[in-house]
Amino acid sequence: MAAVQSHRQRAMHRVAVVLVVLATLVYLVPIYWISSTAFKPRRLATTVPPTVLFTPEVTAFVKLFTKRVQMIGQVDPAVYEKAPWWERRIYDLGERFIKDSDGHIELSAYPSRFLNSLIIAVASTFLAVTMGTLTAYGFSRFRMPGEQDWLFFILSTRMLPPVVVAIPMFLMYRTVGLVDSHIGLIILYTAFNLSFSVWLMKGFIDEIPREYEEAALVDGYTRLEAFFKIVLSQAATGIAATAVFCFITAWNEYAFALMMTNRRAQTAPPFIPSQLGSGITDWTAIAAGTFLFLLPVAIFTFLLRKHLLRGVTFGAIRK
Amino acid sequence: MRRRTCLGILAAAILAFTVKPAAAADTLTILWAEWDPANYLQELVKDYEKQTGVKIKVETVPWPDFQTKAFTEFNARGDAYDMVVGDSQWLGAGSTGGHYVDLTDFFKKYNVAKSMAPATVVGYAEYPPKSGKYWAIPLEGDANGWAYRKDWFEDPKEKAAFKKKYGYDLGVPKDYRQLRDIAEFFHRPNEKRYGVALYTDNTYDALAMGVEQTIFSFGGELGDYSTYKVRGIINSKQNVEALKFYKELYKFTPPGWGKVFFLEDNQAITEGLAAMSMNFFAFFPALANPATNKNAKGTGFFANPAGPGGKPRYAALGGQGISVVTYSKKRDQSFKFLEWFIRDDVQQRWADLGGYTCNEKVLSSEKFRKATPYNEAFYQSMLMVKDFWATPEYAELLEQMNKRMHPYITGDKGTAEEALNGLADDWEATFKKYKRY
Amino acid sequence: MLRTLDPGSPAAKRGLSDISIRNLFIIPTIAFLIAFNIFPLIYSLGYSFTDFRASRNAPATFVGLQNYRDLLHDEHVWNNFTVTAKYVLVSVGGQVLVGFGVAVLLNREFPLKGFITTLLLLPMMMSMVVVGLFWELLYSPSWGIVDYALGWEGFDWLSNPNVALYAIAITDIWMWSPFVMLLSLAGLSAIPQRLYEAAAIDRASSWYTFTRITLPLVTPLLLIAIIFRTMEAIKTFDLAFIMSTQETAELIAIKLYRLAFQEWQTGQSCALAYMVLIMVLAVTNIYVKYLNRVKER
Repeated sequence: MAAVQSHRQRAMHRVAVVLVVLATLVYLVPIYWISSTAFKPRRLATTVPPTVLFTPEVTAFVKLFTKRVQMIGQVDPAVYEKAPWWERRIYDLGERFIKDSDGHIELSAYPSRFLNSLIIAVASTFLAVTMGTLTAYGFSRFRMPGEQDWLFFILSTRMLPPVVVAIPMFLMYRTVGLVDSHIGLIILYTAFNLSFSVWLMKGFIDEIPREYEEAALVDGYTRLEAFFKIVLSQAATGIAATAVFCFITAWNEYAFALMMTNRRAQTAPPFIPSQLGSGITDWTAIAAGTFLFLLPVAIFTFLLRKHLLRGVTFGAIRK
Repeated sequence: MRRRTCLGILAAAILAFTVKPAAAADTLTILWAEWDPANYLQELVKDYEKQTGVKIKVETVPWPDFQTKAFTEFNARGDAYDMVVGDSQWLGAGSTGGHYVDLTDFFKKYNVAKSMAPATVVGYAEYPPKSGKYWAIPLEGDANGWAYRKDWFEDPKEKAAFKKKYGYDLGVPKDYRQLRDIAEFFHRPNEKRYGVALYTDNTYDALAMGVEQTIFSFGGELGDYSTYKVRGIINSKQNVEALKFYKELYKFTPPGWGKVFFLEDNQAITEGLAAMSMNFFAFFPALANPATNKNAKGTGFFANPAGPGGKPRYAALGGQGISVVTYSKKRDQSFKFLEWFIRDDVQQRWADLGGYTCNEKVLSSEKFRKATPYNEAFYQSMLMVKDFWATPEYAELLEQMNKRMHPYITGDKGTAEEALNGLADDWEATFKKYKRY
Repeated sequence: MLRTLDPGSPAAKRGLSDISIRNLFIIPTIAFLIAFNIFPLIYSLGYSFTDFRASRNAPATFVGLQNYRDLLHDEHVWNNFTVTAKYVLVSVGGQVLVGFGVAVLLNREFPLKGFITTLLLLPMMMSMVVVGLFWELLYSPSWGIVDYALGWEGFDWLSNPNVALYAIAITDIWMWSPFVMLLSLAGLSAIPQRLYEAAAIDRASSWYTFTRITLPLVTPLLLIAIIFRTMEAIKTFDLAFIMSTQETAELIAIKLYRLAFQEWQTGQSCALAYMVLIMVLAVTNIYVKYLNRVKER
């Protein structure tokens, strides 16, 4: 436990905490602004000075989930009367829903894209973290001929700008039939995240003292058992951090998601900014899309927070 | 717990891989950019489905990525799209690259050249120029026009002050000289009101369109579209005048106006920033809509004015035509759709839904011209549209033009002569590279 | 020094041998990465020596080093390189300062630590495209809140050739400092308390404690953060493309995009990409060598 703190140390501690809170507030102003814009009525979205107090509404979210167009002309008052409150909001904005032949409102592509993002990000994160951890352990604990070179090679897979790799990747995928498939993107993101995963996990595993495993081996455990029982639990922080970063990368990836997919497997990032195009930027709809999209990542990270902050514990080995 | 989630993920992955929905035999796919006209088209094709049972899916890509995505698919000879509504500038690349199906016979058989406005046939369908070969059916007409604050113009106090200062009545500018005067008159930075909003973004065809329109109206040309000669044409005296003029207009734009395309120019009107704003007609519905533009009642529209001498008068061509993709496996079905699309009644329905039809009859009808505040100006513009180069290397030409014009207009670098002479060099080098000479 | 299993020990007789485990753990990853990357790498390298344009049906003709020569003589390209270098320095430097600084502040117990840490990680959880769009709005002189908050009326950030690059760098710093922060925090919290206690007993100054204990022990993870952020900074595209089109802010990745997808100069864009790759390899190599040296201490 911490030794008795002096006056000076306690004061510094308080100052540090205050600084942290301040930094957090300032830092998060843009995020707050983006999130609150999702709940603003459209005309208040870009006012200067920024509107701080307003009555929140969910029109932006209605827009996000439905297909709409600008209305030419005015809405028929009889139709307006019969419409439910959320539809009236849309009419108020001079737009109307696109309805299919049965009169049902057409959903936008957002829900399916969101789901695609979930499937692809979770799967690729799982694969990248798993493979990365195993490989990192291999490099950390065993001698491998040409180790530095292999590690550097793994690092280099992340160096080419996606712009240039896009065309050959596309051709490659087309030949194998992976274009516009979930598996295709999962493989792509796994490959993309592997270099980071390996390097980061190696960084963490290197810091775990080998004494632990050697003690276990002396006790009669096999290498594999020592790995699962000891190293994995000690490396929880590393795994958590790696998982978070890999997830974020896969979740927000734009360029390849756009190029490699069409209607079936496309993820959300290319969809959100596409709300632009009717001549007026609908910041509320973009903000709504961003806000919703932010939630899974934030929740995932929050759930892992204890692991992220634990650090690797040292201590004398008691036998 | 962990094992079950692993299995679950594995199962989902396998499912995603194996469950490939069988491609419906009767579905056509049209690729377009992500914007309202694509939504209107999606509605229009429902009629087709009702009548024939053939489903049509309009797939959209955000504008900045539209060209990239379309051409990547073409270059990979993919059949993901049966038809594409390509930009007018894509004609050259699409035809010489073998990506578009030759529609000349189709045109002859159905007399398309007669039913569509002549300028649109030249602009959206014909390549090479004057060759009589057609590659697309004009689908969405568009041109560069102007929106203005009618209410500011009609304010008696402003009218009196303007008359006093300039000696003629304040109204829709008849030529570029008047446009400039009006811009100067309304440029009041201390009131946060500015004269004019222009295109200045140096990507794709933003700045280039604004400059091109000015050049055309000053009597200049970009070059000879048949012989590819540019020296002496692109850097002619009129073009230097025109470029200097555009730069002068830039003085009357709001602050921070150096990277502006259609969104910001519309915002200049909705936020009450500028007296006049240039934009493609495709984006004017948002301005006529009181819900998106609080100044909608006071917003008017006019077609590009004439040059300083009163003539000539041109509007920069925008818009797209629909082409059949060579690699599609459903060509016949695509042709059937196009036969249906060019019918007069379908074109009228297209216009009613909000599409910018190019059908001559519909365009010139009273009904159409009065349907919205901007349709009249649109109709006038479609009679005087002129386009950029449509050659396959148009993208490089656009890029070079943006590169030369942008620093001069927004960054105060160099002179108009230097910019245009430099552009002549660039374009000549490009044409030489493609063995045009 | 790596220590492998003593072949004579009882455990070595059971279970898989070390060599098997090593191979099982490492080879699939390496094989996968090779298989995945080999085609694009060769494709790009091959086309970099031709005048191929993906948009034409004409076959590619071999032009040797012509593309490379053209690019090296193009002053625009040199401008791109200098601009990118400036950007990387400012951006990564800023991220390290802010990220590491905040991590030092966070490295203590206080209520809601987990919650606040998650909050601080939010900026990097958004897609770069969305961040670019929103910051473009924030920087707008007419309706952005940056000018409003600073009290600078109508100061132009993104259309201003002198400031544009730094404005984008600030957004980048805002977005990615959390990345550096998290890794630094992981490194800092792993430093055993007893080292600090020992230093306190010896009455070491805080400067001494910081430079002799804290820094060396956190460097391995901090360096990994720097390596990856540097690589990403050199490749930056989405952010800069959306926010500004000034010549003084044209990063090399934007130039690559224009060459590849607007002008369809596939051959030249591949050549440029390889030049960038070599640059990144060189810079990263320096960092990695330093990292290895630090680890050996």
